[in-house]
Amino acid sequence: MELLILPLVIGLISLILPSYWSKIFGGIGAIASLALAFIHLNGFDPLTQTILASSNKMAFGLTFNFGYDAFGLVMVMLTNAIIPIILLSNWNRELANNKLFTALVFFMQLGLLGVFTAQDGILFYIFWEFTLLPIFLLLYWFGAKENNKVLFKFFIYTLVGSLGMLLALIALGSSANSFAYADLKNVQLTQEVACWIMSGFLLAFAIKIPLFPFHTWQPATYTSSPMAGTMLLSALMLKMALFGMIKWMLPLTSEGIEIMRWPVIILGTIGIVYGAIIAIKQNDIKTLFAFASISHLGLIAAGIMLFNTAAWSGAVVQIINHSLISIGLFLAADILEKRTGTRQLSELGGIAKLAPRFGFWFAVTVFAALSVPFSAGFIGEFILIKELFTFHVIIGILAATSLILGAVYMLRSYQLSMFGAPKIAAFEDLTWNEMAVFIILSLLILGIGLFSSLIIEYTEPTFRILTETLTSNQQIIE
Amino acid sequence: MAVDKLILILLVLPLLGALVNGTLGKKLSNALVGGIATGVMLLSFCCAVLVFNQTNDTKIIHLFNLLKLNDLHINASLQVDALSIWMTLIVTGIGTLIHIFSIGYMSHDKGFYKFFTYLNLFIFSMLLLILGSNYFVLFFGWEGVGICSYLLIGFHYSDAEKGMANSIAARKAFIMNRIGDAGLLIGLFLIIAQFNTLEFTGIAEKLSLDPTLANGAIIGITLCLFIAATGKSAQIPLFTWLPDAMAGPTPVSALIHAATMVTAGIYLVVRSNFLFELAPLTKDIILAIGFATSMIAAFIAMRQNDIKKVLAYSTVSQLGLMFVALGMGAYTVAIFHVTTHAFFKALLFLGSGSVIHAMSDEQDIRLMGGLAKKLPITHLTFLIGTLAIAGFPLLSGFYSKDEILGHALAHSPILYGTLMISVALTAVYMFRLYFLVFHGKFRGGEQLESHVHESKAIMTFPLVVLAILSVFGGLLNLPGIFLKNGTHWLQNFLNAHTAGLEKIHAEHASKTTILTLMAVASTMTILILIWAYYTYVKKNKLAIADKDLKGWQLFSNAKLYIDEVYNFLIVKPIEFLSKMAYSFIEIKVLNQGVFGFANLFGKAGSIIRYWQTGLLSSYLFWMVIGLIGLISYYIIKLQFWNF
Repeated sequence: MELLILPLVIGLISLILPSYWSKIFGGIGAIASLALAFIHLNGFDPLTQTILASSNKMAFGLTFNFGYDAFGLVMVMLTNAIIPIILLSNWNRELANNKLFTALVFFMQLGLLGVFTAQDGILFYIFWEFTLLPIFLLLYWFGAKENNKVLFKFFIYTLVGSLGMLLALIALGSSANSFAYADLKNVQLTQEVACWIMSGFLLAFAIKIPLFPFHTWQPATYTSSPMAGTMLLSALMLKMALFGMIKWMLPLTSEGIEIMRWPVIILGTIGIVYGAIIAIKQNDIKTLFAFASISHLGLIAAGIMLFNTAAWSGAVVQIINHSLISIGLFLAADILEKRTGTRQLSELGGIAKLAPRFGFWFAVTVFAALSVPFSAGFIGEFILIKELFTFHVIIGILAATSLILGAVYMLRSYQLSMFGAPKIAAFEDLTWNEMAVFIILSLLILGIGLFSSLIIEYTEPTFRILTETLTSNQQIIE
Repeated sequence: MAVDKLILILLVLPLLGALVNGTLGKKLSNALVGGIATGVMLLSFCCAVLVFNQTNDTKIIHLFNLLKLNDLHINASLQVDALSIWMTLIVTGIGTLIHIFSIGYMSHDKGFYKFFTYLNLFIFSMLLLILGSNYFVLFFGWEGVGICSYLLIGFHYSDAEKGMANSIAARKAFIMNRIGDAGLLIGLFLIIAQFNTLEFTGIAEKLSLDPTLANGAIIGITLCLFIAATGKSAQIPLFTWLPDAMAGPTPVSALIHAATMVTAGIYLVVRSNFLFELAPLTKDIILAIGFATSMIAAFIAMRQNDIKKVLAYSTVSQLGLMFVALGMGAYTVAIFHVTTHAFFKALLFLGSGSVIHAMSDEQDIRLMGGLAKKLPITHLTFLIGTLAIAGFPLLSGFYSKDEILGHALAHSPILYGTLMISVALTAVYMFRLYFLVFHGKFRGGEQLESHVHESKAIMTFPLVVLAILSVFGGLLNLPGIFLKNGTHWLQNFLNAHTAGLEKIHAEHASKTTILTLMAVASTMTILILIWAYYTYVKKNKLAIADKDLKGWQLFSNAKLYIDEVYNFLIVKPIEFLSKMAYSFIEIKVLNQGVFGFANLFGKAGSIIRYWQTGLLSSYLFWMVIGLIGLISYYIIKLQFWNF
């Protein structure tokens, strides 16, 4: 349980400390929680599960069960690795000196870890909703002033979505008389009921991912949020939904997959193309990256709906990859915005000459986002598109167009901002912490690109167990 | 040393060079940077020679597992056989020469270390492409060379005048290549679906064990592979990036866009020959596309006035010829032409680099003329390159083209006849280029003339070596009429020691036919040479000014307006779609729709408030819903009614 308690304690302490010390303390705390995650990783056998806390059934069938399997642990690792990177990238930003900021980041971490380790439906829901509070406050206090409308839209949108999930969980829990994960998973449903319940889950997940056409909250939120907020949202919070699909929605309602698979895969595929097409002519670099993100995530979501271990292996690589890349891209976008005062590509240009180090590392990030060889995305996209192609040729081909369209919008955004003759007089090159972030991200992306098989083989037994519900269902039907 | 160690060393050396120069290069002197980059290349080439001497069989070198999905295993492994080692020799050999040339050519450039980092990185990717033992490793290299090509085309991105144009050219190249890459990716999926392996030898083995696998799916696979090849090897419809790629520094054009990377598509087809042999339809398409590309590019080259553009279209045209060979199943002949073309086209590009260097970066041949006296070595080597590519008797291009023409005649006399037109056009535009640059009077003005000087030895040395290779390259594959034994050495070597390569009958025709073909081709080339001499030197006819172009010349000069057509048919519609999707679907439909929906929810919420069922649990539940509904209703009403 110390995995969850640690961020809570760090967050609370950093509230009491003077602001400057809370920043230092937060940094140390983030690394401590990463170290703790490593300790967990070290003591874990991917063929088993670890129970962090368990209780007997309480009133209404609630339990207090926490634990993780290999997939959950990978997500915990991801969270605890990303949080220090986010703090580091904000190190020279003004808001980093505010203790409220530090505290909110750690409360966010607490919520995320809760989501990734909850083994009880209601706990999952509570932590899921809990994450909204710190992110909302973060965006509200530190975001742009004209932000409020956007923020309420985001808040209500996701809240409404979560209700669907709550309904789904209650429906499942009432027939199982328990909300414990294992019990929920054992509930046998008819296909029709399963479809309804899956729709409930999907409402929450589709909005959070976001899946086309539920994405309208995203671009506006990304552009008006402080950088840290955007990073938390895109690198971690969205991943809760993808995690939820694999760990909760599909195994629990696998009876409905045959019907529900199609609409989600189609929406995901539309998202891949739609996001990319819009990104092609976007002038606002943050909006552009937001639509790029919609395109990337559509691919992952569609892949997850294939409900097989191979596609999920690709999904988990791509989940990690997308987290790393989105941090790099939004850091670059924020550097551009902070130092030139504009996000409009038409007003930027020639910065590579003024700031060669930034030019280089931004280029590395852009190429990583293009899933070039030796980057994690290369493997992730290869697997996902391959699985989609096996599922249906047209879907696979449409997904493969992201390769081409991605090159169009990514290179365009880089070219317009960095190449040509400079339009401004001076541009401060990367500070040490920004440089460090880019180096860490690149090393991670390269490392995963070369050794993705480690992650794939690590999570495979878990995925096999999670997909077993599907095969056992099919046997019953036969 | 054992083959597998040598191969690893020759593969890793360029990567090492790139890493050293990339990290420390900024602090090192130019001489050291150039020395390191060239040194690793030379060592790499030496390793390749050593491996070449030991190559007598297909050898797979397994490195590590890249990916394991269910029962599909994808390995990082290398394959050494005649084909891969021959390509390695070309890449490292020509690569070394071009590295040497670049030390001189780039000496005044601020990005000197960056240039050599990218160049080494390119060689590494190219070697990966050639040496991979499966399509996945090949794909790694395939995308890798695309990135290096992008970086090198846009190398001078911050140039005040041309910076943006350079980076646009680079982007165009990358995107067009990516279209091909998408084809390759889909080809890979089809191969996995059909064979459940990506290993070249594994696929060949499965095909021989289970003939039922040779079904209609092979056509799909080979078509996808060919789409990939059209991207990388600049064939119709994806060829327009290559002429634009001339925005890169000239050594880059020589190495990447003439000698090595653009032949990757040919390598891919040759490597997959056992699949293409099962798909006659694809082979016919290749033949048609290769032929059309060869003709169109040769036509456009006739009235280009940028020295590098002429050479670029010439490259496209020659690549088309190679694809014609592939379409006829003459795989080894294609590789032979790849080899000789690498010699003389690298020579021509480096020669043009030397000219451009002397002309203070001027590339317009209308401003040149009479350079023969001022640049004696460049002139002589360029002349050899021109004669070689034009098919002058007994030079390297003569033999390799003759092989293709011979096969064409055996295939169909009409094909032979029309191919001769393309070959004739090559001679016409190449002699035009040669005479306009090196003969007549200097037309660039006195100020420019005073700066014209022969390049340093470090630049002329590679020219001389390449010139020697261009002269004698044909000896690699002499036809039977000249020798009793050891004829067609290259083709036999490739046939004998390449896994899966079909045995192609080396002698395709009788001695009389061969002699006749050679006589016809030689006569034609010599006649064109004489004609060009009279036209451009004796009558002193010059290139026509743009405004005076008429009829076919206008079309040739304007590159048949293909860029404009693509722009109108593809680029503009996509941009329109992008804008429409944003302003209409995103803003009007979706955003408004969401608010409309939320509004409905709000109204529903106000009704639900009055539901009173008396059940505590349902109260609790509806309370939450009602709350949300209310909140959203009021917020919408108050906050974003006008949003």
